[in-house]
Parts: sequence; C-alpha cells; structure tokens
Amino acid sequence: MPYAEYKAPKGIIKVSLKLDGDSISEIRISGDFFMYPEEALDELEGRLVGISADRESLLEALEKFYSETKVETPMIEPKHFVEAIMRSLRG
Amino acid sequence: MKSWRLLPLRVDEPFYSMAIDEAILRLKAGGKSPNTLRFWRWQPSTVSLGYFQSVDREVDLEVAKKRGVAVVRRITGGGAVFHDQDGELTYSVVCGQNDVPRDIEKSFEAICEGLIRGFKRLGLDACFSPLNDITVGGKKISGSAQTRKWRCVLQHGTILIDPDIRLMFELLRVSPEKITDKFISSAYERVTSIKRELGEKPSFEEVKEAMRLGFEESFGVSFEEGELSSEEISLAKELIEKYASYEWLMKR
Repeated sequence: MPYAEYKAPKGIIKVSLKLDGDSISEIRISGDFFMYPEEALDELEGRLVGISADRESLLEALEKFYSETKVETPMIEPKHFVEAIMRSLRG
Repeated sequence: MKSWRLLPLRVDEPFYSMAIDEAILRLKAGGKSPNTLRFWRWQPSTVSLGYFQSVDREVDLEVAKKRGVAVVRRITGGGAVFHDQDGELTYSVVCGQNDVPRDIEKSFEAICEGLIRGFKRLGLDACFSPLNDITVGGKKISGSAQTRKWRCVLQHGTILIDPDIRLMFELLRVSPEKITDKFISSAYERVTSIKRELGEKPSFEEVKEAMRLGFEESFGVSFEEGELSSEEISLAKELIEKYASYEWLMKR
C-alpha cells in the first residue's frame, strides 16, 4: 500500500492507504500523537473510506469528524492529517 | 491537605505493570481506588509502544528478541519508549479529571511540574517542553503519556537515570522525517540522563524520594504510603492477558 510519514507539530503521522478510482478504499493511520478518546481513530479511518482523495474533500471530512465527535488531538489539527494523507498518495 | 496514596517501588514484568496502571484507573473511576502515585521498574527491559503506533514501523523486533527486550502496547498515546531495567524509573499518576486542568497541555504540564521539582532537588535544571516532555539543556530526560477515561486521568512516563542509549536507538526505528529535521543533528544529542548530567548515578530510591517531594510540593497534597488493594491485584491479573496478547501488540 502507498505509505508516507508527515512530521506534525506534535509527533509523526503515518498513513498507508489504498485507492479505488479516486476514492479511499482502505486507510491505516498510526503515529506517536495523542487523540482523546483513543477509539476515535478507528472512527476516523472508517469515515475516510469512500472519501475522494483530494485536499478539499479530505479537509471537509476531517473537520466534520472533529466537530461531530468532539475529539481532541493536542497540537494536531485537521490539516495535519490531510497533509499526511496527501503525502501517502504521492508515496 | 488532601491525601494521595503512594505505592512502594515495584519491579514487575511489563504486562503486569501495564495491567496495574489500567486496574488502578478503572477502579479509581469506579470510586474504589484513591488518587495514586507510584514508581516502578521494568523486568526485563521493555519497549512500550504508544496506543496509535504500528509495532512494525517503530521497533526492530529482531533486535528486541536477540537482546531479550520485551515489547508491549500502552493504552496511552505518544511515542515508543525504551525502558532499561537498570537505568530507567517509570512513574504513574492516577487521579480524577477534576484534579488536573481540563486543557490537555496544561494537565501534562501540571503533572510534569512534580517531576521538574524532583529533578531540581537532584540538582538538575529541568523544564517542561510541550507537549509531554521534560528537558535538561534542551535534551529530553523524561517523556510522559496520558489517557482520560471515565472522568479520570492516567499519566505515566519515563525518568531516564542511566539507560543504554545505544541499545535504545538500535531498538527504535527512527523516522527519516525526524532525522532530516534541521533541529536534530543526531539522535544521541536529543536525549540525556541523570547520570550524564550529574556525573553519578543516584539510586532508584533516591530518585523516587526526590520526585515524591516534588509532587507533594506541586500538587499541594500529602502522600500516604499504601499498598495495592486485593481488588486492584485481581483486576490487574485479569488484564495481563490483554497486554500479553499478540492481537493487542499488533493492533496497528
């Protein structure tokens, strides 16, 4: 699977993913960041499946995830996950 | 003055240690355990992985096997840590959500303040480095990780006394992203230890005592020496299975 790492302000976000056409069909996110509650990362991965792999769609999905789940990721913002995912597309 | 429980310094195998932390957190949440501070060591030496880390990407399992180093996943986020059985002391704090600031960074800082005061007692000019580190002269000497569940907080972390730093970097896969960071010329220069800074290695009990006094000052509480309850021990024994399982290790 295409894979990339991105150094965010706190920690490194590591993404591997598979595409089906233009959309994400499989994604695994790992890294040394913090996310409260922890289970939210599974939910994020679930939400990203089916999302078109372009910056705008990804940012929209990430922002929706943050606002709907009340997740907290100290020193990491939606745009950092988007950047990590965009890099994995090139990776 | 509020009173917290202080547990005796323990040396346990890693899966049991992780299970004890979770058992105290769960029973604190259930109103059955008090706010607790404890210090403990790992036997054998262990790499602990952050909850979100992928084991294959972070640890060289062949080196770990060859050197007799265990590998365990934590319930807390953050990065992989090498816990040297002879050169590292780990602390854990379990308390109510209301006992620390709501803001995550401030809560890390509030708990780390106890350690910083402890380091100062040992003669080290330590300071907080957000989000979750303590540094001396710009080099990391302690790193912490935290989770919040059921309106309670578990924060645990490492106090580097005299770890085998060469083995540390053989075990941990350093990300190319980190290596190219212009602020980091060498992995070795990012980490220090009490021994390296002071020129001598204090005993584990001396470090524990300095940290206890540091926490007492910063939290404004008194510590009463206590033991694990029988309920904590039996819950911890149940939880060992999870931490020892291949499924848990390979979770990401």
